[in-house]
Amino acid sequence: MKFNDQFRFVRQNMKKNKTRLFMTVLATAMGCSFLIVLASVGFGLQKSIVDKAVGDRMVTSIEIYGIQSDNDEGRQIGTSNLDYLRTVDHVKAVTYRNYIQQSIMITLDGTDVNSSSTINVDFDAENKAGFKLSSGRLPAGENEVVVGYNVRQLPNSQPGDEVPPAKDWIGKSLEMKVSQFAEDGTEQSKTLSVKIVGVTEKPTREWKTDTAVYIGNGTLKQIESFTQTQWGAQRVPGVKDSESGIDKIGLDDPRHYSGVQVIADKANHVKAIAEEIRLKGYISHSIADELKQINLVFLIMKIGLGFIGTIAVLIASIGIFNTMTMAVTERAQDIGIMKAIGAHPNSIRRIFLLESSMIGLLGAAIGTIVAYIISVAVNIGLPIIIRGFMDEKVPDDFRFSLIPPYLAIIACLISLGVALLSGYRPAKRATRIDVLRALRRDM
Amino acid sequence: MIQLNRVNHQFAIGKKGKERIVPVLHDIDLHVKQGEIVAIVGRSGSGKSTLLNLMSGYIRPTSGEILVNGQNVTKLSEGDWANFRLSHLGFMFQSFQLIPSMTAFENAELPLVLQGVGISKRKQRVMELLEQVGIAEYAGHYPGELSGGQQQRVSVARSLMLDPPIVLADEPTGSLDSDNERQLLALIRTLNEERGTTFVLITHDDQVASTAHRILKLKDGHLLHAYAKGGSLAHEIQ
Repeated sequence: MKFNDQFRFVRQNMKKNKTRLFMTVLATAMGCSFLIVLASVGFGLQKSIVDKAVGDRMVTSIEIYGIQSDNDEGRQIGTSNLDYLRTVDHVKAVTYRNYIQQSIMITLDGTDVNSSSTINVDFDAENKAGFKLSSGRLPAGENEVVVGYNVRQLPNSQPGDEVPPAKDWIGKSLEMKVSQFAEDGTEQSKTLSVKIVGVTEKPTREWKTDTAVYIGNGTLKQIESFTQTQWGAQRVPGVKDSESGIDKIGLDDPRHYSGVQVIADKANHVKAIAEEIRLKGYISHSIADELKQINLVFLIMKIGLGFIGTIAVLIASIGIFNTMTMAVTERAQDIGIMKAIGAHPNSIRRIFLLESSMIGLLGAAIGTIVAYIISVAVNIGLPIIIRGFMDEKVPDDFRFSLIPPYLAIIACLISLGVALLSGYRPAKRATRIDVLRALRRDM
Repeated sequence: MIQLNRVNHQFAIGKKGKERIVPVLHDIDLHVKQGEIVAIVGRSGSGKSTLLNLMSGYIRPTSGEILVNGQNVTKLSEGDWANFRLSHLGFMFQSFQLIPSMTAFENAELPLVLQGVGISKRKQRVMELLEQVGIAEYAGHYPGELSGGQQQRVSVARSLMLDPPIVLADEPTGSLDSDNERQLLALIRTLNEERGTTFVLITHDDQVASTAHRILKLKDGHLLHAYAKGGSLAHEIQ
């Protein structure tokens, strides 16, 4: 018997008692919907809380604060430390953020640019680490830079003010005026011309702004060769170099890096890397440590909610079992006739299993659609209710309910599995129908 | 074609543990040849239907063996019996046994559907047979909208759909008026002559029995006599 014919039989049979079919599908849909919505609360809260914990950080990154020295005091990370970190297994890149230690006057087409800081990064390492840009590309040449997403924001601008997009500046040149004081107190300056090739990603938090200019090692070298100090540090007029400490950060002195991050190739290697470098005395912290705990709590929560939801589907399965048992009883004579002329028991079993699985699938499909609608309604409605009744503001990106596609797929599979299980016994009963009894002992 | 060797059958009736054994058939030896029309006659309760049910595989003999088309079917599994029925046997029932929710066309095409024949071939074959039994114009009607004679024609079309070598019929004219009965018997004779289809008929009716080449009489579960066509005693079994 072909599948198409089995399907036709099932369709004909389902049309016979539409009310009963509707009620059974409704029960299955409610069960499936309940399962998805319940589990979606776990997913939604997890995402919101994890997002809050992670912020702009990457789960594959390990922040390095320093290294334990022999006298048990923290030391800053030097060039040799960076070299070592790069050799650790599964380390994809080692990045750093070094602030240029002077306020560089930056202009574009003669207009001042509201740049808060100039930051030196290693673009080769950033490229491997996945430096996120909203537009443009990472610098490839010496005098190319990336600007912050909010670089065009004016100093006195208010939140909500219209800011022209920074990407319009891509391809334009910035004039960076670097200055240094001579030992006699006279100021000398040099203007570097750099080209904007990229714009950083929009900060994930509304209250954060990024107005920095990111320069590579080539541009840094030009700044340093002019200032003759590390990171372009400025001499303080009237203060001796030995007193201000400038004499210790000459170009030949050991360098110290800040904002050092080790980027692992995969999130599950973070722990091993952190463990290894910790043994070498590095002081580090990774978001993965925090996330592990959070995720474990939410995993337990999701399993618990899913279990309660599955009970609802199991209750719906009683309806499917009842419907299928009634269907077999009502169609005993038809089944008897079919068996009498040569229907194979397997064909009869398949017809009834197909019918129960169609009820399950229909219920799951409707249940999933309803669950998505409820999820959207909860995410929109609940913050309004909380604001209205409790006078508390829920963060804008907070999600109470989140349905990842795999949750919907798992719920549909559970519904289908439960429907097949509930249809199995009635289907087996159908194959055992006695031909003579069904034909009323006619033959 | 159909051979029964020392077939016995008994029913167990009553509650489990307190069953009473009722013997129905005793040492039945029977051979139906290919192309033969055999009528089995006997009083109610003589075991006629039980004998046909055994040949159909709806019940199994308590002892003895049954061979159909040279194949021993005594111990076939339910699934194998289903396949065997579909490919070797056609069935005519006294009360037609049509599925009420299906049209005449759908009822008639059922054996083709069970065998997995494609739609276009099915349509052609069903219309051909419905025309042959003179019911093509009622193809779209449900059994409830047809007379007894029309329903039996649909049932006949269904039984012949896969061109079975053997047709088993239990009181095929039992619910028909004399006109329809005559037409059905004429059809059985034609099919037998033209296609060589073997028929085993169960009947009370002398006219139906007279269609047969051979008439067997059952009495209290014993096969008593075998008459040749026309009623002359051909062979006395006991």
